Amino acid sequence: MSDERLELLQGTLEMLVLKTLALEPMHGWGIAHRIQSMSRDVFLVTQGSLYPALVRMRRRGWVKTAWRLTEKGRRARYYELTTAGRRTLTTQHTAWERASAAIDHIMSVRTWAPEGA
Amino acid sequence: MRILSDLLLRLRAIVFRRAEDRELEEELRLHVEMEEEYRRRTGVSHAEAHRQALIALGGVEQVKEDVRDARRTRSLFDGAGDVRFALRTLRRNPVFATVAVLTLAIGIGGATAVFSAVDAVLLAPLPYSQPGRLVRLYNTDVRAPNDHGFLTPVHFLEYRDGMSSVASIAAALTYDAVGADIGRGDRARRIRTLPVSAEYFDVLGVRPAIGGVLSRDDEHGGMDGAEHPARVAVISHRLWQEEFHSDASAVGGTITMDGTAYRIVGVMPESFVDPLAPRADAWTPLNLDPGRDPSNATNHYLTVIARLQPTLSLGAAQAELTALATRLGVKYPDARDTRARFDPLKDDMVAPTAAALEIMLGAVALVLLIVCVNIATLMLVRGSERQGEFAVRAALGGQRARIIRQMLVESIVIALVGDVAGLAVARLGMAAIVRLGDGTIPRLSSLSLDPRLLLFSIGLATLCAVLFGAAPAVRAARTRPGDVLRGEGRGGSSSRAHVRLRAALVSAQVALAFVLAVGAGLLLSSFAQLRRVDLGFASANVLTFELHLPGSRYDSTARARAYDDLARQLEGVPGVRAAGGTSRLPATGSYNSWFTRPLSGPLVNTKIDHASLEQRVIAGDYFAALGIPRVAGRVFEAGDDAHAPRVVVVSKSAAQLLFPGVDPIGQQLRTGGVNATVIGVVADVALEIEGEIKPTVYHAHQQFAGDRNWGLTQVVSTTGNLDVVAASARRLLEAVDPLLVMYRPAPLDDVLGRGNATRTFTLRLLLAFAAVAIALAVLGVYGVLAYAVRLRAREFGIRMALGAAPTAIRSMVMRQGLIVTSAGLAVGVLGAAALSRVLTSLLFHVKPIEPSVFIATALIMAGVGVLAAYVPARQATTGNPRNILS
Repeated sequence: MSDERLELLQGTLEMLVLKTLALEPMHGWGIAHRIQSMSRDVFLVTQGSLYPALVRMRRRGWVKTAWRLTEKGRRARYYELTTAGRRTLTTQHTAWERASAAIDHIMSVRTWAPEGA
Repeated sequence: MRILSDLLLRLRAIVFRRAEDRELEEELRLHVEMEEEYRRRTGVSHAEAHRQALIALGGVEQVKEDVRDARRTRSLFDGAGDVRFALRTLRRNPVFATVAVLTLAIGIGGATAVFSAVDAVLLAPLPYSQPGRLVRLYNTDVRAPNDHGFLTPVHFLEYRDGMSSVASIAAALTYDAVGADIGRGDRARRIRTLPVSAEYFDVLGVRPAIGGVLSRDDEHGGMDGAEHPARVAVISHRLWQEEFHSDASAVGGTITMDGTAYRIVGVMPESFVDPLAPRADAWTPLNLDPGRDPSNATNHYLTVIARLQPTLSLGAAQAELTALATRLGVKYPDARDTRARFDPLKDDMVAPTAAALEIMLGAVALVLLIVCVNIATLMLVRGSERQGEFAVRAALGGQRARIIRQMLVESIVIALVGDVAGLAVARLGMAAIVRLGDGTIPRLSSLSLDPRLLLFSIGLATLCAVLFGAAPAVRAARTRPGDVLRGEGRGGSSSRAHVRLRAALVSAQVALAFVLAVGAGLLLSSFAQLRRVDLGFASANVLTFELHLPGSRYDSTARARAYDDLARQLEGVPGVRAAGGTSRLPATGSYNSWFTRPLSGPLVNTKIDHASLEQRVIAGDYFAALGIPRVAGRVFEAGDDAHAPRVVVVSKSAAQLLFPGVDPIGQQLRTGGVNATVIGVVADVALEIEGEIKPTVYHAHQQFAGDRNWGLTQVVSTTGNLDVVAASARRLLEAVDPLLVMYRPAPLDDVLGRGNATRTFTLRLLLAFAAVAIALAVLGVYGVLAYAVRLRAREFGIRMALGAAPTAIRSMVMRQGLIVTSAGLAVGVLGAAALSRVLTSLLFHVKPIEPSVFIATALIMAGVGVLAAYVPARQATTGNPRNILS
């Protein structure tokens, strides 16, 4: 485990949670774990930001919840995407692609730098 | 939908806070467990895995706190800061805070006080067991089934014996004059007594606290044939406390009334209030012997109440009563058209004031509406005034929710302060209502602040304040801060819509105020009409007081002499022009209404409709004292005494009714069981304050003293100072007999005014409400225009800079004010036309839709509206364009 994990920006976390849930309904720990592993452990999802984000998303009607049993027979709150959530994911994804492409573009411009700097 | 689901979730979060917390805890626990398990799988020890998992979670409490924040329910817990902030802002704008609080106080206080009064008088059941079973019996006539007549003793006995639908029935002699003097010397005073038949307390379902009640054996006249049968009495708890210091041995003892000892058989419970005579202190047996004499079948003087059999309907009871009355019509040919009617006792008690109280209720509902509208506009103004502030805060990153929350807290603070002030106003209002209605509105003394009603009005006003307090903040949060800050928000379309909304609200206020003002105006003009009524006698500068001569010390001869002697002596007092006495003052309602028929003239032996004539027993110079002119013949003289032939004076209308087309002087008539000769005719006087005239027969007290102990009301016409004359009269009375009580001395005008009390009561309250409503509406008109002017200050500045005349701008603003006012008035006219009908029963010679009242009210309100518009109109043009534009 490296200490170079990055904390996510709030808006980004929500998009990633949406993406995670687009695959299948999941409980809180599963979401955190999956984001972490899918980012190959680059992103650290702290629970302190995950759960408030889940509450916010639920309030906005992006996700709905239900208490279900895990494979190991434990009661857990599962989060599931709603139609609104799916729509949000699409728009956010598009916006993200445009933004990141733009940032990439900016960042790819070669900069003049003095030798040895 | 999203807003709705959002709201529901938040509500859920508040309501089910505990459950939410538990669920969150469970979720977090599971998270730690799963993390722990995951780490163990990577080969960490059990304890170490647990430790790491907890660290990774970052403090359970912190997470919970963050989640709560995300749920936005935290505002309920850290509201103290908001309250402090709210108080600070309100202190900075004391005018707004004061107006809002006062408005709320008036609305809540007024509504609660009036609701409580209506509840106490109209809605609360009578304080007797199974009150719905209690009825009053009225004497009616085949041709007048809605009459409210007294019953004859003959009919009462027949009904008592012959009705299976009543569980118990009782009669009472409710004439106001019935009372007794008790105590001696300076403790001498007069109490109200009520002669009742045996089952009176059974009907009411009340048992004495100590002792027993009266029996049927007590209902027979005594050996002396006087009107007091058995010398027994049930006394009130109050009298028992005052005269016997709550000594239980008083029962079986005696109380001296009018100089005669009565054996006390019982003491009523403290809570007992007599429905017929609320101030009664003693109940004595009613002599029912006259009921066994068929000649009394036309002698109406009894008030009868009954308790119906438990399951019987009023209709079934009425059917039996009507059938019985019809049979009695055969048995007593003189009274063949006599019928009777059951009225629920409560309706009967409250009917005269029901209209007034219902009107009050309507008026207060209107005021409450106006208050809510006013609060709404106030809050809207405040919100829009602070749009700039909101915008700055939003631009600085202030959360929308936080701004809304603060406005909510502010509104709640205002509402709470208003509620407390409203409570105080309610208490004051109730005290005022009790004082205003004392003696005219039954059951008002039991008035208490009803918590349900208080909660209702507080809830309504608070809701109003909070809703309209938060609305501008919600709206402000929606607008883009940049627009507002650039000044586009002011004068922008959203603010224009805002002005339109407020203009509509103010028009509504004007309309509501107009309805109230028309109500007050209609009553006011009724009063003016009443003042103009010619009662047929002079009521100014006349002193009246009641004088009762105790039968024990004054026999009929002594009484006959005493009243006339007193009148003569009173006429010797400086400042007295004429003095006399009467069994009932004019214009104070029907008193003794007796069947009267001519024994001579064209109508002898023919049936006369409405031959029940008012009878008055008079002494001294009664006609002179009241300025009632003699039309023909002569009035009573000293010689018309018990030894002389019976003579009567009749009113002009009585003469026309009984002896049409002939000279009434010298004609014979029969009434009250005696034959008499008509010696004179006097002008008619009003029977009621409305001026209605009823044919009247006057008897000389000297001749009629033996009939009963007439407690004559003295009328003393004076040249001026009533107080001085009253003092002299009191001294004179003391010299004549120190045991006599000068009872209820009052100017005649006041006595007549009392008959008008329900109207006065309603008028005063309506006037107060209308004044408040108009004031609020004026404030509203002013407020909306002032705000509009402020919004358009820039535009006006430009116009004036470009050469527009100030007068043009001023008239533009004024026009706007007139539009708002006249729109309100137009709606108000429709509303008033629809609602003023409810006033009908209180109106006199005024139609509910009286054009003059409507026009006058509209003119007044339009005038006030113009005044209210003038101030902002001036403000619009007083500023220097350069200052406004820079």
